[in-house]
Amino acid sequence: MNKAKRSAALLLAAAMATSLAGCGTTSAPAGSSDEGTSLTTADLAGMTIGFIPGVNDPFYVSMQCGIEAAADEYGMTVTTQIPQQFEAAVQNPLVNAMVATSPAALLIAPTDAQALAPALTKSVNAGVPVALVDTSLEDTSIAFTSIATDNAVGGGQAADALAGLIGEKGKVLVIAFKAGASTSDARQKGFEDQIATYPNITYLGAQINDNDPAKAAAIVSATLAANPDLAGIFATNLFAATGAATGLRNAGAEGTVKMVGFDAGAGQIEQLERGDVQALIAQKPGQIGQNAVEQAVAYLTGGTVTKSIGTDTVIITQDNLNDADIQDAIYKETC
Amino acid sequence: MSTSSTSTNETPSTAVVGHDDLYRQPKLLMSVIKSDTFRLFLALVALIAIFSVLRPAAFPTVYNSLNILSDAAILLVLAVGATFVIITAGIDLSVGGVLVFSGVVSAMVMAGIGDGTPLTLFIGLIVALLAGTAWGMLNGFLVAKARIPALIVTLATMGAALGTSLLITNGIDVRNVPFSLVETVGSGTWAGVPVLVWIAMTVAVIFGIVLSQTRFGRHTYAIGSNAEALRRTGVNTSAHLIKVYALAGMLAGLAGYLSTARFATTTMGGHSTDNLTTITAVVIGGASLFGGRGLMIGTVIGVFIPVVLQNGFVVLNISPYWQQIAVGAVLLGAVYLDQMRRRSRDR
Repeated sequence: MNKAKRSAALLLAAAMATSLAGCGTTSAPAGSSDEGTSLTTADLAGMTIGFIPGVNDPFYVSMQCGIEAAADEYGMTVTTQIPQQFEAAVQNPLVNAMVATSPAALLIAPTDAQALAPALTKSVNAGVPVALVDTSLEDTSIAFTSIATDNAVGGGQAADALAGLIGEKGKVLVIAFKAGASTSDARQKGFEDQIATYPNITYLGAQINDNDPAKAAAIVSATLAANPDLAGIFATNLFAATGAATGLRNAGAEGTVKMVGFDAGAGQIEQLERGDVQALIAQKPGQIGQNAVEQAVAYLTGGTVTKSIGTDTVIITQDNLNDADIQDAIYKETC
Repeated sequence: MSTSSTSTNETPSTAVVGHDDLYRQPKLLMSVIKSDTFRLFLALVALIAIFSVLRPAAFPTVYNSLNILSDAAILLVLAVGATFVIITAGIDLSVGGVLVFSGVVSAMVMAGIGDGTPLTLFIGLIVALLAGTAWGMLNGFLVAKARIPALIVTLATMGAALGTSLLITNGIDVRNVPFSLVETVGSGTWAGVPVLVWIAMTVAVIFGIVLSQTRFGRHTYAIGSNAEALRRTGVNTSAHLIKVYALAGMLAGLAGYLSTARFATTTMGGHSTDNLTTITAVVIGGASLFGGRGLMIGTVIGVFIPVVLQNGFVVLNISPYWQQIAVGAVLLGAVYLDQMRRRSRDR
């Protein structure tokens, strides 16, 4: 009898606590700016910007640093939730939960150009405007801005760099990090279009490593086994480049097989210094983050918003590694 | 045998041993409140209360509640199937792989037919269910007839199902899913509640009734409790095991269809830990891994606890990595409680 009474009392207490708290609101979160009225810059102080990157890696950490620094100037705080894997199923619940906290704006790097569209549409309908950073959606109309490196140009630059390294002849392989992520697709396409202009280069095709360095290493080993005369590799992001360099090192082919990587994390700079990688195409994630915050501020205060911004890339080689502006381009692991 | 609880002053029958009270059935409300499942429910309510008090504007809203329900829906469908398997003292690690395979096959069929008519969507559903059931029957056959431990069998089929999906798609997710599927099933709502949630709840209710009220359910409990005894009463336990694993496979197939509908694409890389999340949910819900115990309502609560934890942590802006630690702790607690119960019963 006592156990039952105790349980019933507990339940009553919990129910009362919930109902007290629930007195707050029962509707969808209200947007921070109604149509027609916009805020002044001073109003922004104390508001929150939500940031959901694709996965935990130095590229997104550098972007987070850029966002936090830029938001700080307006007195805004940034809440970041990082998916454990570069997967739509993992990122989706984070989007929904963050929108429930009603940030002033949501900056997101969608892990899939299609799968995140329903959740982001819900976000916009709930009054939280969306900005796309780095990766993009197939239908960008729901976001007020889309900021990324011009990945197609970056892929083309990688093709030119690799062609130069291998003497414009030989077999080349691309390791694409994720089919369906706009950045991976764009870099791959940019590379393929540009490499086709070199008549003596044989393009072996693209292999997908699902953002897993171990898979990238396995792909490189397998390709070397099938094509011992492999001349060059283009790795389309940080994890692909790390894994591919490991694969080359394990096969004893580092230096012989030339590699151009995308992204410039600390690990990749080490690989560049060791000679496992010959060139890195570095993006400017801090600048992407900064631009995103500025566009969000413009949107919230009723200013002009640029719908699409392409930031540029920097090519890092062993030669220019110690220049000051190149050192700035290296990604951070912490802010 | 048991006397009815009467309020007259009759002398109890001499055929009855002991006092009248011993034979009185406890009132339903009392037995509910004293049960372990109720304590689990209180734990869930306490969690919700804590998050609501900490973030009253964000957490206890209709919008967020629907988020939580949507996030839990697909996991719930998987967990319903896993409940049956775990009650038979078995285990099914292949749910993630079967989910992916069914989603892929159904997406390819629907994309192949091309138009987005309701008939196409229905055909896709049937394909997904059949694909899942096929893998489930394979699991059941290997467990029941070939007598290979379920852990090994389902581990193997998980790899085989996932590998087959990657093979037939060349590793690239199927993205040309008919948009009408996403609109109606994936993102659609009915009476304000997402369709996904209605489907998951219907599945839980139907199979909860099957588990507790039908002979199929009773045999499931019996196999988990003492399979040999059930076999000697003349029931074909092998056939029953095959049916149980087939059911789990079918529900994994349904989950694959729902996942494709929700994300507008198959997500082949995103389901590698689904099996462990499902087992965690079922065990937190009170089912014993040694078989013979478990309630569907417990599974439903067990599904919501990790989902509410994750949602609450994001709303509170706590790193989601803490959620994994929290769920691990809850799981340990649940298994420990189960061990205590077993020990006190065996004494």
